[in-house]
Amino acid sequence: MARFEFHAPRIQLTGRPALRGLAFFLNEKRWFFIAMLVGVIAFLAPTPEGLTREGQIVLTITIVAVMLFITEPVPLPSVALMIIVAQVALLGIDSSIVARSMMSDSVFFILGSLMLAVAIVKQRLDKRIAFLIIKMTGTKTANVSIGIIAVSGLMASVIGEHTVAAMMLPVALTLISLVSKDRKQVRGLAAVLLFSIAYGCSIASIATPSGGARNAIMIGYWREFFFDPFNSETSKFIVTYVKWAIYNYPLFLVQIPFVAFLLLKVFKPEQKNISRAVVRLREQVEEQGPMKARDWVAIFGFFMTLMGWIFFSEGWGLGTIALVGATFFLIVGLVQWSDVNSGVNWGVVLLYAAAISLGVQMKDSQAAEWVALSFLKLLGAVGIEEGVSLWGAVSLLTTLTTNAMSNGAAVAVLGPITLDIANMTGESPLRMGFITTVSSSFAYLTVVGTPAATIVYSSGYLKSSDFLKAGLWMVIISMIVLLLAAALYWPLIGL
Amino acid sequence: MAFNQERFNLLLCVDGSDESYRALRYAVRIGKGNDADITLLYVRPIDKSMGGGGLELNLTRENMLEWGIDLPGMEHLERAREQLIETGYMDEEWKSETIHREVIGDPLGDNMVVYTSPSGAQITLKLMVSPSVARGILDECELNPYNITIIAMQEEGESRARGGINWNVTRTVVTEHHGAVLLSRGIEESHGHLICVTADEKSIAAAQKDAVMASRCNCPVHLLSVAELESDIASAELAIKLASNAIEKAGVSIEEAVVAVGDPVTEIIERGKPFSVIVMADSDVKGLRRFFRTSVAYDVLKKAYNSVMIIR
Repeated sequence: MARFEFHAPRIQLTGRPALRGLAFFLNEKRWFFIAMLVGVIAFLAPTPEGLTREGQIVLTITIVAVMLFITEPVPLPSVALMIIVAQVALLGIDSSIVARSMMSDSVFFILGSLMLAVAIVKQRLDKRIAFLIIKMTGTKTANVSIGIIAVSGLMASVIGEHTVAAMMLPVALTLISLVSKDRKQVRGLAAVLLFSIAYGCSIASIATPSGGARNAIMIGYWREFFFDPFNSETSKFIVTYVKWAIYNYPLFLVQIPFVAFLLLKVFKPEQKNISRAVVRLREQVEEQGPMKARDWVAIFGFFMTLMGWIFFSEGWGLGTIALVGATFFLIVGLVQWSDVNSGVNWGVVLLYAAAISLGVQMKDSQAAEWVALSFLKLLGAVGIEEGVSLWGAVSLLTTLTTNAMSNGAAVAVLGPITLDIANMTGESPLRMGFITTVSSSFAYLTVVGTPAATIVYSSGYLKSSDFLKAGLWMVIISMIVLLLAAALYWPLIGL
Repeated sequence: MAFNQERFNLLLCVDGSDESYRALRYAVRIGKGNDADITLLYVRPIDKSMGGGGLELNLTRENMLEWGIDLPGMEHLERAREQLIETGYMDEEWKSETIHREVIGDPLGDNMVVYTSPSGAQITLKLMVSPSVARGILDECELNPYNITIIAMQEEGESRARGGINWNVTRTVVTEHHGAVLLSRGIEESHGHLICVTADEKSIAAAQKDAVMASRCNCPVHLLSVAELESDIASAELAIKLASNAIEKAGVSIEEAVVAVGDPVTEIIERGKPFSVIVMADSDVKGLRRFFRTSVAYDVLKKAYNSVMIIR
């Protein structure tokens, strides 16, 4: 039976009906109106004791922004624009000052790493990676899962997880479709392989600073809030690439076997061995032939960027190095500007910049201090004041937040609060910052939690309930590993 | 492809569930004959690039296409086409034409294949991209005024996959739709239509419209009018009389006509159980009533055990 295929003359669609009437509009935008109503109430409410008026306004902006981040009734970049406007209009801050607070090395890093991501994905190195995985793992489903977690993780530890997920998804989907076209037959297998990518990326994204924008954001906060160039004691708050990796890389490595075990237990794939699919995939990827000069140049470019992050980021900043890497790919012609332009969603850069700016305002207006104090009072009422229980509470708060919104935005908003908690309780801001950032990667419960989760979900093989099924266990495992590291491992290396 | 309003146009929304293939068999029965065109629609929700962490998801899609991996929904449409061939509704001899439409926000756009039989009947497989499944279906209905739209709702638990048709999608489509929409729930092909009527002019017109549709598949037509109180019986009897006249005028015979007394929603649901489809007319719901979704038709749609058709 002939397959139908879609290759066709292009017809310009002149437009679809955009507005379906007022009721439809009100229904679709209901969360926007609810958020605005909450904002008006919070703005007009009497200022709580201990909170400044500016702090109250910043908190109002934050509450509205968080509601809009979570419910998404309007495009997210428009939330960023609203944050900017609100700072000028409601707080009376000069617009040039707001603009300055939006640009930092962290934003450069987000910009550079997204451009780098497009450049790397465009190199089509995924078939080489697939070959490496199946050569390494053999044909057992369990081993293939471990291989995918390990390889996805190793890559996601140094480049953004969206890059890795975009490259790995076709590998997993090809394997799945080579096993069977019947989705019901391969449901378990598909879930194991796709979650191997998503969770492999998540657990590794905190391993080095370049693993995710949130890491760069926290490094920026430490520098901005605690580093004093005239006080040598504060130099410990300049966290280098290597220092970060020493603290966090082991957390990724120890989780690999747990993740594979968990996925196999939860989704119970029918196929314990996928030898036929692996053989056919091997045939496909071998058609690529030997590595070409272009491939080597791409690998060299990325390797040099990685070396730059390791050896020069202390002076140049992570962001500048990422921009150097992206520029290299553009100069040597490995990627065209048009590809970068269409592959990057620039709204995300705007969103992170606005969230960072809001985080700075939280600190400056003492809103973060007030929230931290209130949170501590709340914890004090249930006997949580310091040590592991406090770390657990902060981790839980971050986990809940990051599952509802972008992890970068979660760290941008929560960072100033948790760092203030550290100040008030005599905790190390470094430890509290690490706990916050690492916990922001525990967005295992929802489809929108992490970029990798969204990308694997777009395959159509997964249900949103699958994320909850495996994610709850993942949260528990990751939290235990984090708390053990904070209590036993980090003190050994000087924290 | 020009949309021919002279013909009987049927839209079936496919999402790969067993229910949607069951609905396909029903669609084939209604669509039999040379005067009908069937469109099978899969709506692919637009890839949200924000979820990709700033990397446009179309980059991933392009990568997948380069590996030879189909867009989500292609396999469902392909399976539906295979079923149409198996049932003998279409064959390999039909001519095909492929069409691509560019859509703002998704470079892969809308794609469709139109199959045309020697006698002129058409089957269209349409892979459409839209911000949401519901909006896609509604846009398609607005652009092309179908005689009937069939949506098959997946069972609870099966409805959370991307592109799946769940209760939220169904509710939105039914509330916003301006024509006839059939929610297929475990649809059996030959158990007849139970048409529920009131003395309202629109209800009578809807009853006639469905009776004609039922006659396309030789489905027996039953009439039901529910009086909420004893004092409303006369009005219910009038409704039955008016509907019977209208339907018989259209050349369709009525198997049975019943007047019941009680709560309309409960009566319709209970009496409708043995039928393939419960048919209800609903007026254009406007303003806040639409926002809060309150009507007998809406309640029956929500609570019934079997398929329900709402005609506006």
